[in-house]
This record gives sequence, structure tokens and C-alpha cells, in this order.
Amino acid sequence: MNAFTGASARARVDYTALFARFGTLASLIALLIVFSLGRPDVFPTVNNLLNIMSQISILGTMAFGLTVCLVMGLFDLSIAAMATLGGYVATFLLVQYPDSVSVPVAVAASLVTAALIGMINGLIVSYLGISAFIATLATGSIITGAVLGVSDSKTIITGIPDAFMAIGQGAVFGVANPILIMLSVGLALWAMLEHTQVGRHLYAIGGSLEASRLSGIAVKRYAPFALAICAACAGLGGLMAAAVLGAGRPQGVGDGYLLNAFASVFIGASSLRPGKFHILGTLIGVLLIGVINNGLSVMGVPTYWQYIVQGVLLVAALFSAGVLTMRRH
Amino acid sequence: MVGRVVVSDPDMAPVPVSAGTGLPPADRGVFLQVVGLVKQFPGTLALNHVDIAVRFGEIHALLGENGAGKSTLIRQVCGASQPTAGKILIEGAEVSLSSPHAASALGVAVVHQHFNLVPQISVAENLFLTQGLPRRAGLFVDWTETFRRARALLARVGLDIDPRREVSQLRPDEAAMVAIAKAIGANAKLIILDEPTAALLPAEVAVLFGHMRRLAVEGHAFLYVSHKLAEVFEIADRVTVLRDGRNAGCWTREQLSRRSIIEAIVGSQKSFREDAAEAPVEPGAVLLSAAGVKGGRVADMSFELRAHEILGIAGLPGGGAEEALDLLYGRYLMTGGRLVVCGKQVALKSPRDAKAAGLALTPKDRHAESLLPGASVRENISLPNLGQFLTDPVLRLIRRAKERAEAEAIGRRLSVKMASVEAPIQSLSGGNQQKAILGRWLASGARIFMLNSPTAAVDIGAKAEIYALIRKIAAEGAGVIFTSTEVEEFPRVCHRVLVFRDGRIAGELLGKDATEANILNLAAGDSE
Repeated sequence: MNAFTGASARARVDYTALFARFGTLASLIALLIVFSLGRPDVFPTVNNLLNIMSQISILGTMAFGLTVCLVMGLFDLSIAAMATLGGYVATFLLVQYPDSVSVPVAVAASLVTAALIGMINGLIVSYLGISAFIATLATGSIITGAVLGVSDSKTIITGIPDAFMAIGQGAVFGVANPILIMLSVGLALWAMLEHTQVGRHLYAIGGSLEASRLSGIAVKRYAPFALAICAACAGLGGLMAAAVLGAGRPQGVGDGYLLNAFASVFIGASSLRPGKFHILGTLIGVLLIGVINNGLSVMGVPTYWQYIVQGVLLVAALFSAGVLTMRRH
Repeated sequence: MVGRVVVSDPDMAPVPVSAGTGLPPADRGVFLQVVGLVKQFPGTLALNHVDIAVRFGEIHALLGENGAGKSTLIRQVCGASQPTAGKILIEGAEVSLSSPHAASALGVAVVHQHFNLVPQISVAENLFLTQGLPRRAGLFVDWTETFRRARALLARVGLDIDPRREVSQLRPDEAAMVAIAKAIGANAKLIILDEPTAALLPAEVAVLFGHMRRLAVEGHAFLYVSHKLAEVFEIADRVTVLRDGRNAGCWTREQLSRRSIIEAIVGSQKSFREDAAEAPVEPGAVLLSAAGVKGGRVADMSFELRAHEILGIAGLPGGGAEEALDLLYGRYLMTGGRLVVCGKQVALKSPRDAKAAGLALTPKDRHAESLLPGASVRENISLPNLGQFLTDPVLRLIRRAKERAEAEAIGRRLSVKMASVEAPIQSLSGGNQQKAILGRWLASGARIFMLNSPTAAVDIGAKAEIYALIRKIAAEGAGVIFTSTEVEEFPRVCHRVLVFRDGRIAGELLGKDATEANILNLAAGDSE
């Protein structure tokens, strides 16, 4: 029976549904309390909380983009390579053409490159009928190879203008720029998914491709769109990483973010609206991962525990979402 | 043969006793007895002291509207779920069915609508899926022995097919019989069939019923769940009706009458009228005209549809009727002919073009092709119509309040029963889901409604409401093209019926001539 049927269902509290909806949010709050009690002098300070936000800003930006394509059921595995590309292209242009390329131009060129490749991913999915999983795995490999080839495996360190590094290292009223970038991207994508026709169509296609097609939605246009958004966000994440580091690395920038981005989005899909990918949920997922990593290191727990706890958390989140889904049948 | 299976008894007379298993059911022992079964879900009493007894050698039909408790009862009996109170007795002994495995060990097997077979492997492998394939030295599959045993099992149910064939290659009736053979191979004495004929052609239903009767004579018991009354009258020795989780009556074959069964299913407070469609008050302007249209299975199609008209397109499955609707909605491409919609010649390249031309399609499979399963009623109604609620053409923000008001207006107009438009569409009954889907297209302002089996998997009371809704849509000035897998619906719904045979229009039946018998004769091609 469904948790939503009948007025009499209200008579009893449905604990399973509550757990599925608020389980992740509750564990986030519980963790905040535990860490605050564990290190009251260090953890619950404004500085440390801003620090956590800073630490998750790259992951958050990438995870928000990933949410958009998972909404319509597309897995984008090229985000790791795309992040490397985003950082490398911007620094490469700035260092190679210091006179003709300004920082805004370099940023725009990097994001447009990523978006175009994402669009190609989408065209492959829509018009060649290849699954996004495979298509993005393949393009990811191509991007990795291309960046390694162009760079000759050399990291760009010298000649990066300060204006570029300010993207990662500057702050507005004490709030680091990456935090502001992440929040703006999140807000824009939230508005798109929740309040525009495009967003509703993305959800519709993710819910039922055939029902959407028969409703007159031009379904083939949406995979290029969603994958372009996701790629641009991944590129932006890599660009932020390059600005933070002050270096354009030709490999490995995005690798650490791939699993965590997927974990955040799936944890998000088990929060508040079980079974649905949404930006607010993704934010909770990203925060959860950030709080765990920060909290454990503040408490002096060895780093390897972070991976173990993240893995356990992901299974628990998916389980809690699954409980409700299974019970519906 | 075909006619006998599908044509229902129009004058509601008691059904003759000649068919069935022949033996008076009272002479056999009781295999399954359910006494005072109660199943309490949070907030819902799904079964309220239900009794049912199934005898050896009996084909026992279980009827009831969606939500009456049929599936809940089956789930308790096959061990998929445990009752809150009450007793289940098998061969006289009280049992506790803690798992499907426990139920199957006691001889209860369920064959679901899609036969729970694995399509990509052979018939033989499917037959031994539960108990395991015979082996040599405990390790290697003994294929010779596997096929020998499979052949013996198939022979027992009277099915003459090669056990090496892949299940996906079988006809639906053959697949149904393989599922039954699988159950019998696991020593099932009671086989529960849940809507087994949903995907079957009339001739295939007849074959399946023949097999079932023979197995019943051998002593196997069947509990048969179906929405198709005509089939129940044809096959059942005994009928139990559930309504709102309680027993609403039990009849033996001799006592059966169509009227009493329908009254038991829908309840006395709802008057159920099978009113025939009347001719439109005045046929309006031509909305759609097809001349020599072909594509896919449709070889040649010419007709006109007028405003206020409900036009049936009938035919046996594969004859081109359903395909005609898909073709007219751009689901595949026209390879010839001329199509004029609302005065404009159109070349439909996609459903998007069809929608833009003023057409609407509700496909047959509501769950796979119409619904957004995880979404609310509001989101389901506004799916094709979001363009109406936009603030501007660039940002395309949706005015949520306007969208909600429109969905609520549609819900009221079609009396969709729901907690609110924000309720999940999955929380609605099948009939109300279908009304919401029709509402989706009413809100879009479509001029031509093409409906494929709009009452599939909808209970009887809701069927009548959907028929009334179709008439209302036509009365308000739209044109309706209707097709259905249940031939008995055409005379009730349509003003005029085109009958397809082998992709061509074999004939046109007007008003009173559009009877089931005439439709089937034209469709099957033996009208003389």
C-alpha cells in the first residue's frame, strides 16, 4: 500500500517514509552535533564552517551539473576528464597567449569547449543511440588522451596571471569565491530544474521517455543540452581547482571528484524527495561528504576512514531510498 | 470458435451448463480453504474477513474491481505476505505460509500476467528454473535428461513444442502453458492465474481454456483472476466476487447470471448501464481526412472523421487497427497517401508534429507510454501543456499557480478522485489515472482524440465513467478515433466502426450494425 493513500493513513505516523525522506538530513545534523561536541573549540566555528564550504565548492559545482543529466537518466562518466580539461584549457590559453587572451576570455573559452564536448556526448546519445554511460566513458578517454598529448604531460605553473588565481583564492566579504561560484551555479540550476519548462521536460523524460515523446516534447534535443550543462559545470570545477592551485595540471584533476560527485547526487536522491534527483538534495549530499571529511580530520581520525565512512554512507542512503521504493510495490 | 470466446451474452441470461469441467464441483474435496482472512495495512483494511474455498478439479474465478482485494488475497495465499488474522487451510490442515517457497511446497503456484518466464533462455531451462537442471556428477548439466524431462512435462499439459526453443519466440498462449507446465512440474495442485489472457488473441484464449479444462478434469485446481466477464462465463465452475475487501457473493456455474455478477462487483448503489452509443446529434465539419494512407502494417486507409463523431477502428491484433492510430500520430512514418488535419495537409514526422496539428493519442499501455510514474497528478496533466503557463519565451519560467489551477479545473471537470492535484499519480486507481491522462489532452486543446484501449485494466464502474467521458469529448466538438482490444466495447462506444483486416479497411459498420459479431466476422474475413 502506498503511504499517500487515504485520509486514514494520517492516523499513524509512517516511520519508514519519514526515515526515507529525512534520514540523510537527520544524519547531517547528527554529524554536526557529534563533531561539535567532539571538538567544540575547532569544529563549530565560523571559520571552520566556511572552510567546509570551501572544501566542497568544486565537488558541489560538479555534482550540481551531474544532477541535471541524472534527472533525465543519463550517466556522465566524462566529468573527471572534463574537469582536467577545463582547468588545463584556461591556463594554457592564458600562458600561451598572454597578450591577446584576457582572464574572462580564457574562462569563457574553457567552459564553451567543455560544453561543446558535452553536446557532442549528447548528440551521440540521441542520434547514434549509444547509452550515455558508454558514450561518456569513451569521450572521457579521448579527452584525457588529447590533453596529455597537447601538454606533453607537463603541468603549467609559471605565467598564470593573478587575476585568474583570484577566482579560486579571492573572497567577497570574507566568503571565498569558490563558495559563491558553487552557490550561484546551484541556484541557477535549481531555478532551471524546478521552475522552467526545460527543467520539467528533463524530469518528464527521466520519468518516461515514451510519455514525453507522445506529449510532443522534442526529446532528442535534451540529451545534448543536459550533457552540455553537466560538462560545463565539470569544466568550471576543474577551472576552480586550477585557480586554487595556481597550476594547470594535464591529468588527474577530476579523478577524485568522480565517485564523490555521483555519491552526492545519489545521496541527494534519497533526501526530501526519495527517488528523485534534485539540487537541494545534491547540496545535502555534498555537505554530508564535506562534513564527514572535515569532521574526521578535525577529530584526528586517519584519512583512510574518510573513504570507508563515505562508502558506508552511500549504501545507507541508497538503502533508505530503496526501502520506500520497494514498499510501494 | 473465435466468436464464442469473445462475444458476451447480451441479454444477461444464465449461462448454459454444458461447458466447464463436467463434474459437479461439490463432489470433489476442498484443496484450499480460506476462513475469515483479514489483512490490515496502515490506514487501510484490505481484506475484511474473506472466505473462499477452491476444490480439486475446479476452475474458480475471482472477480472484483481494482482495489477490491483480489491481489491482496492472492498474495496471502501464495505466501508473498502474511495475513493479520484468519486461517488458511490446505487439504484440511491449517498452514502458515511464511514465504512463497513454503506455499509452493504445499502445492500453490502463481502464474502472473507476464508468466514469470525468462524470455532469453530455452523452454526447458525455464521449466527447471526453480528446482534446478538435472546434472551429471553433480556438476555438469545433463542436457539429454533435461530435454527428455521437459518433453514429458510439456506432454503432460498437452503442449507440443520443442523445449529447446527460446521463450521469447513463443506465442503468448504457448508461453502461458509453459508457465502452467512449470507450476505442475513443481507439483502444484492449485494454479493461480492472474489475468493470463491480457496479451492473448481470441483463438489463443480458446486453446488455453482447452488445456485448462483438461488439467482440471485430471484434478488440478485453478484460481482465475480476470477483468473479462465473457471469459469467466466461458471457463469458470464457480465464481467468487470481492468488493471493498469483503465477500460480495459466490456462485456455481448453474447459478451464474451476468446481472448478478455485475451487481456484486460494482455494488447496488451504483447503477451500471451498458448504454449503446447513439448517433451524433449532427455530424460536424470534417476534422481529418485520410486518402490512401499507408505505412508500417497499414497498407491502405481512406476515411473521414467529423466533429462530434466517435469512430471505431477495429480489427484483430496485428490487423492494422492499433497501427493506424500510431501512424496517424506520427509514431512511424507514412510511406504514401494524403492526410488532411483540420483543413491543412500535413506530413507527420513525429508525435510532436501530430500534436501541433491538433491530434492527441492515449496509447494502450498506460504505465509504459502515458504516465510519468514518479510525478504528481498536476505534473501528469500539464505535461504536454506547459507552454500555456510560461512567463516569457526566453526564460520559460512556469507560473505554478496557474498550472495548478488548470489541473484542479480538469480534475473537477472529469471528477478525478484524488487527495489533491499534488498527490502522486500512482496513488490513484487505474480509472482515475486514465481520466487524468484524458484530461491532459483536454487541457491541451486537441481537436482529434485517438484512444487506444482507454479502459484497459480499469474496473467496471470506472469503465462506464470513461465511456461517458468519451461521449462528452465528442459532444463538445472534438472528433474521437477509438480502438480497443476488447471487441465488445465498439458497439457501446462508437457511432461508426471501420474494420481492418490485413492492413486494409475490410468494411464499415454504422450504428446498429456495429455489433461484436459483425466486427469479428469482418475482421476474421468470413463474413459470408
